[in-house]
Amino acid sequence: MISPEIIEEAKQMLVDQNKAKVEEITKKVIADGGDPLELMNQAYIPGINKVGDLFGRGELFLPELMQAADVMKIATDLVNDALATGSNVAAKKAGRVVIATVKGDVHDIGKCIVVSLMKANGFEVYDLGRDIDVDTIIQKADEVNADVIGTSALLTTTMKEQKVLEEALKSAGMRDRFLTMVGGAPVTPRWAARIGADAYAEDAQDGVNKVKELIAQK
Amino acid sequence: MAITHAHASGMGGMRGAGDLVARVQMSKGMRTWEAKQYVADKLGVAVAELTDPVIMTEVREDMNIGQITPLPGCAKGIEAKFNIQKALDIQINCVDRFRKRAAI
Amino acid sequence: MAKIFSRYGDGTPLELDEKELMEELHAGTEDAADRAKVSTLTDDDLKHLYEILASPYKFVSVEPGKEVLLTYDAGTLKIRRVGVNVDRIQALQIYEKIMGADTMELCHVDYSYKPLKPIVTMEQPILEQALLSTHIPLFYGAMPNLGLYSQPDGPFPNPAELLPNGKIKEARESLEQTVEEAVRDIVFAGSAMYESGADGINLDSVGAAGDADFLASLMATKKLKEKYPDICIEIGMAGEFILGMHGELEFEGTRLAGLYAHDQVRLAAQAGATIFGPVVNTNTTETSAWNLARAITFMKACGEVAEIPIHPNMGMGVGAVPVNDHPPIDSVSRASAAMTSLVRLDGL
Repeated sequence: MISPEIIEEAKQMLVDQNKAKVEEITKKVIADGGDPLELMNQAYIPGINKVGDLFGRGELFLPELMQAADVMKIATDLVNDALATGSNVAAKKAGRVVIATVKGDVHDIGKCIVVSLMKANGFEVYDLGRDIDVDTIIQKADEVNADVIGTSALLTTTMKEQKVLEEALKSAGMRDRFLTMVGGAPVTPRWAARIGADAYAEDAQDGVNKVKELIAQK
Repeated sequence: MAITHAHASGMGGMRGAGDLVARVQMSKGMRTWEAKQYVADKLGVAVAELTDPVIMTEVREDMNIGQITPLPGCAKGIEAKFNIQKALDIQINCVDRFRKRAAI
Repeated sequence: MAKIFSRYGDGTPLELDEKELMEELHAGTEDAADRAKVSTLTDDDLKHLYEILASPYKFVSVEPGKEVLLTYDAGTLKIRRVGVNVDRIQALQIYEKIMGADTMELCHVDYSYKPLKPIVTMEQPILEQALLSTHIPLFYGAMPNLGLYSQPDGPFPNPAELLPNGKIKEARESLEQTVEEAVRDIVFAGSAMYESGADGINLDSVGAAGDADFLASLMATKKLKEKYPDICIEIGMAGEFILGMHGELEFEGTRLAGLYAHDQVRLAAQAGATIFGPVVNTNTTETSAWNLARAITFMKACGEVAEIPIHPNMGMGVGAVPVNDHPPIDSVSRASAAMTSLVRLDGL
């Protein structure tokens, strides 16, 4: 068992985006025979959740979020390398997400934040960009065998594309293959339920939490 | 939604003196409660009367400062704003520009 | 225990009992106080809020004499969006004579300063004509919308693409360049409209593209105020705190990222703004009670420190107004009355 002090320090160093220190702690824990998964689950995952929370409160900003993501990746790589199976356990747990701003909508700042936070949480993210038609989204999801398709719409006039996606997935007989999540300023839980999306994300951190829940239930 | 706000907490625009209080706020930077008092003093009414459409319709008609239902010959649009500028002793940008453009 | 009709932040109806309603109010105010590091609402405030929310009536209002100014942004767009095919001057007249507006805003359909630049001389005569036939104060308004300055809409690399790829330095440089361009455009269009006779210039949805957006707005306000000392400028916000896309931008020594309304208003005043329009976002998964207590907590703190008039934004999805194209009268009137009676504000 890793000492609580080391767990706390590792978590804080991730929040502080201290790459050298996270690397040092992780290597030392592994060298001392500590369980790398325990370090991941007790220090780094709570750490990156705290980063998301601080970001949502306006106490930490996008560049820092990206630096934290970079540190998280190093920690994840070290942990994965150390695992006896040699398999990429943490990455497998996170999942694969295809994300886009819907057709007719050129707003991409909100999506940028979601992508950043998802990357920080270890998801394999395929960001298709903005003004993306439904066929392109489905094609990419199929190609990369995505777990989740996330779409963003900033306008009441473009939200309908999220419904078009649901219908297109059904028509193609692919609805059961992917989990869908919707977000954006005018998008609501009521809308998500109405169109049959699997989840609604209030903000970026909520999006990360929802994707984790969806994948865990898969 | 806009009408709900207008009824729940708005000053009523030209039905009362909302436009006049707004002008004073925009021109002099006054807080609303100060601007209300300023306008009430200039119009010779009580602050509470500024949102009463019965009283304000009469005041606006008497001072010729623009009414919801315009009567023949009453000041309308920019004409009314000339009178508002004088009545409230404030700067109104478009009135000053009009005066300059019309060379009056 | 009697049930009280309420709603969620997306307008979905729900019923709460008295205890649940009070718990929602406490949770909402505590959330805001925790985030913005401000005081929670007092017991008297919460009691008043409870009475407004628990009212059995469909419509609730402020007491006579406590009315405030009602300013409309983008009204000339909204009336056409619902399929009423009137021109913009007719729209202004409708808001003035029928909708009870205390001020109105003329705007172009693009609603951003950048696309306004090449057509400003076509917008000026419309404003000038509108000013001849209307009575209430007219703003000319648009968004700083710094997103339009990055690729593919503008010349600079797109921070929304650079940041997720870890290109922090490049994203920051790009944002700094967009600020300079945006300030130039806002001052250009704002000057033209003021010289055409506008009663005020409105910078709307400020901060939508993050801290650079707010910085450009403050700098443009300062320049316009220096150029025209009598100009009225309203800064209306996009969200409850300044999103740190850059993270290190400062205005006269104050870091912008992460600032909440009570700090934003100080900077707006410092830059020379006449009116400040703070915003609190509505959370769709929480109740109206939670949202309203939360919004009033932020706004109360802002009103207490404000040295210039404040007009909190109470449109769709902000100020506890539900995120719905057609917010219900029960929710909007309660939010309107509660905000106006509990916050030291000047208008909505």
